[in-house]
Amino acid sequence: MEREQLAAYAGSNRLVVLLLAALVLGIFAIDTLTDLEIAVAVLYVAVILLSARSLRPRGTLVLSGICLTATVLSFLLTRRGSLDAGLINCGLSLFAIAATTYLSMSAQMAASAERQARARLAGVTRAAAIGELGASIAHEINQPLAALVVYGNAGLRWLGAPSPNLEKTQEALEAIVEQAGRAGDVVNRIRSLAGGTAVPFQPLAINEVVAEGIALAREGLQAARVNLHTDFTPELPEILGDRVQLTQVVLNLIANATESVAGLSDGERNVFVTTRRFSPDQLAFMVRDNGAGIAPGKLDQVFDAFYTTKATGMGFGLAISRTFVEAHGGKIWAEQSRPQGALFVVSLPVVSPNESETRRDEP
Amino acid sequence: MTDEKKPMVFVIDDDKALRDGLQLLLESLSLDVACFASTREFMAFARPDVPSCLVLDVRMPVQNGLDFQQQLARDGIDIPIVFISGHGDIPISVRAMKAGAIEFLSKPFREQELLDAIDLGLRRDRDRREEVARNAALRAAYAALSAGEKDVLARVARGLPNRQIADELGVSEITVKVRRGHIMRKLSAATLADLVEMAITLGLR
Repeated sequence: MEREQLAAYAGSNRLVVLLLAALVLGIFAIDTLTDLEIAVAVLYVAVILLSARSLRPRGTLVLSGICLTATVLSFLLTRRGSLDAGLINCGLSLFAIAATTYLSMSAQMAASAERQARARLAGVTRAAAIGELGASIAHEINQPLAALVVYGNAGLRWLGAPSPNLEKTQEALEAIVEQAGRAGDVVNRIRSLAGGTAVPFQPLAINEVVAEGIALAREGLQAARVNLHTDFTPELPEILGDRVQLTQVVLNLIANATESVAGLSDGERNVFVTTRRFSPDQLAFMVRDNGAGIAPGKLDQVFDAFYTTKATGMGFGLAISRTFVEAHGGKIWAEQSRPQGALFVVSLPVVSPNESETRRDEP
Repeated sequence: MTDEKKPMVFVIDDDKALRDGLQLLLESLSLDVACFASTREFMAFARPDVPSCLVLDVRMPVQNGLDFQQQLARDGIDIPIVFISGHGDIPISVRAMKAGAIEFLSKPFREQELLDAIDLGLRRDRDRREEVARNAALRAAYAALSAGEKDVLARVARGLPNRQIADELGVSEITVKVRRGHIMRKLSAATLADLVEMAITLGLR
């Protein structure tokens, strides 16, 4: 599936278009040269059906228009045969082409609606999972925090009494230290969780992961009318990682870029996604936009949790991305892009030959 | 008639640290405190007959605070409840407040908010207990009235004039006036308005 997507994004639709054009021309030639009694134009139906598999609905519609015009044109150009039979044949062909176009376009639309719904569901599920994680972390830290505040107040009151009770004050202070430790334990647990030993990593092709992230972001890109430009380096070595986490990083970066270019006018909103061999043992994928960019002093700050320039949003996207990337032994950073905009780079270590050997032994 | 008994605060929370902390804090205010890890422990406890207030955690393993609030209402146990919750959940807090909670505080809560809520809860419970006591006294006094006096009181409560009461009961108007005097004294009613109010409390109207 990822391979198909890659092909589509690389724009190799051109071949299909050429093939269809050749078919239309061929049918047109035969239809014009043969007698009017021979309904060669019905073969256009096959062209429409073929196009429905690889073109978008709009493409199919345009093609259908061309076929209809060609049918009428052939009828007018053909000199031999009975005019009555020719009229009936022409009418039948036109009807067959129109009906086939209608049916295949409805099928295309249904399929595309399903794809969109699937992508939206994936996005929602992830957002919900992250929201839930946040809520449970908040609760875990909140418990010791609540106790800590209460002990603090109790300590102040015992100490501030007309005849201070030092024993009770000490009890409160000891409890404060203990509760602070408890909160710290929660934080450490979350850190080790994010450290990623829990999720077994798998060998992944970075191009496929990035394509998957783009597929998830596609709807948002289209809604914001952003032009997406991709430049994938073929045959990059594999990396070890968690597909879900890495596609989330791609999605987050593209979503950020999309928002950064929102202020530009139509046709000027551009987002570039690139995969590269960074060094012998490092790969990278980059997301660049031509938006307002990031102030030089803020380049590191953008990865802090709760850092946000948006009215909506919690400022978690980049913080989570950094956590995920670091769990992969990689790095993520932001740069100023020329002439304008921001560039986010994610570098990841490639699988060393030893690692892939040991992995193959696993079931 | 004021309730002079020393009040008591109950705390139900499954988090031991918070329980102990609240105990230490409330004790510093010279309040009697009893803490419980679950609603079951609380129900097993022989509660003293004093003005009280319950500080109740919402989310607990066995029975959650909201369900317990309903159980108390079903069992006719009338105790003001201050909810404390780790989740600032608006629908839950609305439900709790609608069911008569004093306050709904999100952890970590501010000391003053908690103390104010407990104070309000204890005051309400004191008022309720006084009313219960007053009603009991009134009922006892009413029971001590003679049958003739009860007849007169029922009609006074309906707003009938002495003349008509005398006619209905087949006694003289003087007798009605005398019985009314006895009733006022026995029920310690200062005015007719007091008497009518008592009649309402007693369900005579």
